[in-house]
Amino acid sequence: MTATTVPLRKALNEGLRRALEDDPKVVLMGEDIGKLGGVFRITDGLQKDFGPARVIDTPLAESGIIGTAVGLAMRGYRPVCEIQFDGFIYPGFDQIVSQVAKLHYRTSGNVKMPITIRVPFGGGIGAIEHHSESPEGYFAATAGLRVVTCGNVGDAYTMIQQAIASDDPVLFFEPKRRYSEKGQLDPDAEAFPLYKARVLTQGTDATLLAYGPLVTTALRAAEIAAQEGRSLEVIDLRSISPLDLDTIAESVRRTGRLVITHEAPVFLGIGAEIAARITERCFFHLEAPVERVGGFSLPYPPAKLEEHFLPDADRILDAVDRTFAA
Amino acid sequence: MPTIKTFLLPDLGEGLTEADLLSWSVAIGDVIELNQIIAEVETAKASVELPSPYAGTVVALHADEGDTIDVGNPFIDIETPEDELAPKPASGPATGSTETAERTPVLVGYGAADERTSRRRGARTAAGPAAEPTAAPSPGRPLAPPPVRFAARNAGVDLAAVPATGSRGQVTRDDLDRYLSTPAPEEPATEPVGTRVAADEERTPIKGVRKHTAAAMVRSAFTAPHVTEFIDVDITPTLELIEKLRANKNFADVRLTPLALVAKALLVAVRTNPSLNSFWDEDAQEIVTKRYVNLGIAAATPRGLMVPNIKNAQTLGLRDLAQALSELTITAKEGKTGPADLADGTITITNVGVFGVDSGTPILNPGEAAILCFGSIRSRPWEYQGEIALRSITTLSLSFDHRLVDGEQGSKFLATLASVLSDPLNLIALS
Amino acid sequence: MFDTDDLVQLVTESGERRTHPDFSPYVDDIDLPALRRLYEDLVVVRRIDAEATALQRQGELGLWTPLLGQEAAQVGSARALDADDFVFASYREHGVAYCRGVDPTHMLRLWRGSTHSGWNPFEYKMTTPAIIVGSQALHATGYGMGMQFDGVTGAVITYFGDGATSQGDISEAFGFAASFVAPVVFFCQNNQWAISEPVSLQSPVSIAARGRGFGVPSVRVDGNDVLAVMAVTRAALERAREGGGPTLIEAVTYRMGPHTTSDDPTRYRPASLDEEWKAKDPLARIRVLLAAEDAVDEDYLAQIKAQADTTAAVLRRGCLETVEPVPMSLFDNVYAEPHPLVDEERQRFAAYLDTLEGSH
Repeated sequence: MTATTVPLRKALNEGLRRALEDDPKVVLMGEDIGKLGGVFRITDGLQKDFGPARVIDTPLAESGIIGTAVGLAMRGYRPVCEIQFDGFIYPGFDQIVSQVAKLHYRTSGNVKMPITIRVPFGGGIGAIEHHSESPEGYFAATAGLRVVTCGNVGDAYTMIQQAIASDDPVLFFEPKRRYSEKGQLDPDAEAFPLYKARVLTQGTDATLLAYGPLVTTALRAAEIAAQEGRSLEVIDLRSISPLDLDTIAESVRRTGRLVITHEAPVFLGIGAEIAARITERCFFHLEAPVERVGGFSLPYPPAKLEEHFLPDADRILDAVDRTFAA
Repeated sequence: MPTIKTFLLPDLGEGLTEADLLSWSVAIGDVIELNQIIAEVETAKASVELPSPYAGTVVALHADEGDTIDVGNPFIDIETPEDELAPKPASGPATGSTETAERTPVLVGYGAADERTSRRRGARTAAGPAAEPTAAPSPGRPLAPPPVRFAARNAGVDLAAVPATGSRGQVTRDDLDRYLSTPAPEEPATEPVGTRVAADEERTPIKGVRKHTAAAMVRSAFTAPHVTEFIDVDITPTLELIEKLRANKNFADVRLTPLALVAKALLVAVRTNPSLNSFWDEDAQEIVTKRYVNLGIAAATPRGLMVPNIKNAQTLGLRDLAQALSELTITAKEGKTGPADLADGTITITNVGVFGVDSGTPILNPGEAAILCFGSIRSRPWEYQGEIALRSITTLSLSFDHRLVDGEQGSKFLATLASVLSDPLNLIALS
Repeated sequence: MFDTDDLVQLVTESGERRTHPDFSPYVDDIDLPALRRLYEDLVVVRRIDAEATALQRQGELGLWTPLLGQEAAQVGSARALDADDFVFASYREHGVAYCRGVDPTHMLRLWRGSTHSGWNPFEYKMTTPAIIVGSQALHATGYGMGMQFDGVTGAVITYFGDGATSQGDISEAFGFAASFVAPVVFFCQNNQWAISEPVSLQSPVSIAARGRGFGVPSVRVDGNDVLAVMAVTRAALERAREGGGPTLIEAVTYRMGPHTTSDDPTRYRPASLDEEWKAKDPLARIRVLLAAEDAVDEDYLAQIKAQADTTAAVLRRGCLETVEPVPMSLFDNVYAEPHPLVDEERQRFAAYLDTLEGSH
């Protein structure tokens, strides 16, 4: 198969298709994913080809989706649950953190939870309330879960398959505002390890770390910085839990400066953990404190205000400037 | 073998730290069964019947009816005929801890435990490995903790110019202080404060490069166990090779010296004896064997003894190596050697031959495992093809850190080095 | 037969047989020897519960959730199951565990605080005690759906209490099971109390009515009548196996003891209520029935006492001889696949322990 240029939603669709083909125990479940193909069309065409026993429309109940997935997993299946929007994950929160996260530990490894929970997340789509959340922190903070997110088309295709193939539960966050963004999909390309961060552009002056929807924004910021005479090294974090600190530390040892950006609020966000650990590891290499650019400490605002809430290239570069200030 | 078992009042899980004994259901001398009710106790607003954990004869009752007993205190003694199925004596709360810690029970179990007694063996450095093993500092970027960076910036000092002695290669506060108290080399020497100029003594303040070098020497000499080995080499074939190469157009604009060939021979010998290019990382408790050779050449400069190094010398061909040596020497003589050139050396050559000295017992450059002293080349009577002939002979003295290099490795290294110099064809053979 | 609230009963409180047109046939095969074995189960289960309670009072367990009074509800339903059926339990189903063959040696380790899970669920096809109320009903439904996908003729049973039926997860499980026609038997032991809250606080209508509200056929049975319980459970399992979908069984019983060994029921319920239910004891009525039918003799009583004593002894020994977990086992089984953070923390902790006096 040759490489093609496709939108991110198509890459996810292809990845899910591949997963369904490769393992008869993979079942997709979620609201409106069957006949409709999902409100974002991520599962478009899959029920037609694989049948309603493998691509399942569920009742409108997030706890029910996750809870029955637990039972299916115990029966030997590999469920891939879709939570329709980030803001709707909370009814299922208990099943995720009390059951999915803990069952392997609770049963001394007798019961495995090879469940993937797909969540479109993030803002920037002009949506109404509860449709633009970034709840990844709650799950990253829960031992027993793994949390990953894709920032481009190629990763969307490979990471969803790797997540499904994992015997551990994986929260797979999809940057919904990038669903239409096009990129290269090469099915034959060697898959990058799921839990590693990736340097996207090399640079010398500062390290810029982003994930999910802000990867594109970070690359844009690096372009502007280059025009201004600054060389930024952009890293796509990809795996939020576990964190690939080796890649980040190696970069910071060279550049001496780190700016982390995510849509989730700065306060107690993923950037806080990374900042603490990089400060531990690269203390003597740091020219300036680690900067974090993220949402403010308030519920996600109405659509007309979201551009001021979300980090953009200017806010990121402002933080980069701060790392160079006296 | 009958034993006496003491049943301690357990934590019954009702917010209990004590219980009132309402009534005994047994008396001393009674023969009782396992789980037989022995007493009724009152906890907060409820009475609980206590079943006996042992079968046997009641030999002692540790409370009177109406008494308040603390949890964990002896309640009843029972003489048991055998040890079979008896709970461990003095069993308290089900936590299994040996201390009778007071725990506040809650509805679903035992609440928070009290602080345990300390088991520390005494103050020491932090346990366990650091967050990660020390990574090699990136060449060219000075490392320093934030307060030192800040201070350097305020003082207008480029950290790259400050010699670093921190265990991870960082500039420490002391390093910066030391650097700041040193006047710049170009400045005229000022009259030292409080100098006593006696007629037959001259006093020079200890500072600057000499102070730094001395500290490094002391550190090296008294940390690494030094062993020095010597070998005399008939270097005539190398000198003949140099003559030939000087006529070679590839070497037309390069100054090719015996030192260059010694350096090349050293690089070849390092390849098969990597322990001589390693580092004893005391903090990380690891030996770092480096795959790159930053070859230091001891040089006398206007500022004093310095050891600039050629980075990644193992990648250089003979021509480039000779070129690098040339430049290094010129730069050093002009006093323009930069801090980056001085940092991260992995092995050193000191050339005493230029002074007409035969051999020595060199001191290791701190952080390195070996140093080669290259002596003067003399024409001496020597055994050659079964007869006595005048040959060009030089002595190679190799000091090495016996923690990192054992006798066999050091000897093999030196022998390999010598073999290349005494027969340069070995360069090809060993490449 | 799953559409009325009439209480199904086959043995009265005073030990007399009754017939039920729909459910009697399901226990036609329970002859006197079989009934004697069921009675033995009731006796042993009660004894397990008493022994565990004693062990808690002796400081060997942190907590125990007594099932006193609910023996028939558990034995009657558990003995209706096939070996391949899967049980999703709550935290009081020690009688079901015994019937599933769970080794009493392992039953108490969880309550002792030595582990979160006393046995391998797949070994006995029964989950270990679950603390989050009602969550297991969804797991059971998913498992049942999996059985459907596999095309096997099997069933799942899930146990929960009356209080659990207020939890959203139970409603969602009813909904999913009804929608997907999952082979699930929802077994509610309505023991009248959720700690201190009477069932009337949870619901103004019967538990069975709630199931019917979701389209799940439901039946109320005398939970203290082991034969009736077995009959309705067999009927529900048959429905499930034949593709008829889920059934809700409301077994009306009474929690004679406290919610847990830390609870004090005298604070919220009158002794008169306890007395009322003592008269409905599940063991007494079968004892009377067996005696009336000349099926009790000294040998039999001695034999079942011996079985109870032996089981209690195994339970006690297993508890006292529990191999307690070592500190480093903290880090085991957090994930199925290697995880760098767990490895890093494990290493650091081991290094830290090395700096302390004493063995670990």
